[in-house]
Amino acid sequence: MKIAIVLPVYNEEKKIDEVLSAFEKIKFPIFLVNDGSTDNTLQIIRKHIQNKKNISLISHRINLGKGSAMRTGAEAAFKSSFESVIFMDSDGQHDPNDLAKFVEKLTTGSYDIVLGSRNLDHGVPLIRFLGNKLASVLISILYGIYVSDILSGFRAITKEGFNKLKLESAGYGVETEIIVKIAKYKLRSCEIPVRTIYHDNNKGVTILDSIGILLDVFRWKIYL
Amino acid sequence: MIIGLQLLAIVFALIMIYFAYLHFMRGELSKSEIISWWGIWVVTIVITIFPDLLSGFAKTISINRVFDLMVVGGFILVIVLSYKAYIGTKKLEHKINEFIRKESIKDTRNGRKS
Repeated sequence: MKIAIVLPVYNEEKKIDEVLSAFEKIKFPIFLVNDGSTDNTLQIIRKHIQNKKNISLISHRINLGKGSAMRTGAEAAFKSSFESVIFMDSDGQHDPNDLAKFVEKLTTGSYDIVLGSRNLDHGVPLIRFLGNKLASVLISILYGIYVSDILSGFRAITKEGFNKLKLESAGYGVETEIIVKIAKYKLRSCEIPVRTIYHDNNKGVTILDSIGILLDVFRWKIYL
Repeated sequence: MIIGLQLLAIVFALIMIYFAYLHFMRGELSKSEIISWWGIWVVTIVITIFPDLLSGFAKTISINRVFDLMVVGGFILVIVLSYKAYIGTKKLEHKINEFIRKESIKDTRNGRKS
């Protein structure tokens, strides 16, 4: 099975070099999506990927949001005849050594989507821990699917699964949308434990994003 | 006799007629749009000067004063326009999003080219 990594990147000038270096040991094809970064991220990426055939760079002219960047990366990968993609965050919170677990699950052919679940008992800021658990319970009540880590960005999806999802969310709502649509369209999914290192509490989903996602969860219940 | 509030409404409607004309001259409004907007503001002026024209209609829908009817009508118009603007913005956002994504995929570069 041909598998590529999709890495959405936005304003990660401090971390991106280190993150890309960590991938050097693992020879996976990578689709890097620079989502309109306004700092030096793009220059750092360009310098880093020179002469690296396994890394493709796609760049949004303006910031569209994580969901859009993930879709762009996945569409580019599937266009290049890859059969599955693994999404990872670009802030270094995910360990590339966990990729093997995703590959193992994907190659069985039994799953459309493999969800990485962080161990939320260690190192996760309390507010995020509570928000995540609340979201899990709410989704479970509304859609009948319990996923222990709704907001994890470490997940894999097959081309077939991706096409069925028809993702709409441009921003951080994409992770929740995937879970909701797994339940709605009865896609085959599983969870696997992944390691996580938190670096920056100020990035990622904000309270305003969470309110928007919450409203979407109810909207999807009505319209999907 | 025209009271202050009526005068204020007429001046406001005339300013809006002028703004509509300006936007039409700049090509930002089509002929049908300027006719609609001018229609709305001319009707506003007529009703402001002759409020009794609507008093019969106001009573049939249990509104005592024409002023109250105009406030209700204004609210409805604002809500409709806000909704229209919201939908328009969403459509535009979606089109920009798709355009940028498709263009970026076309320009995909790998390590050798970048």
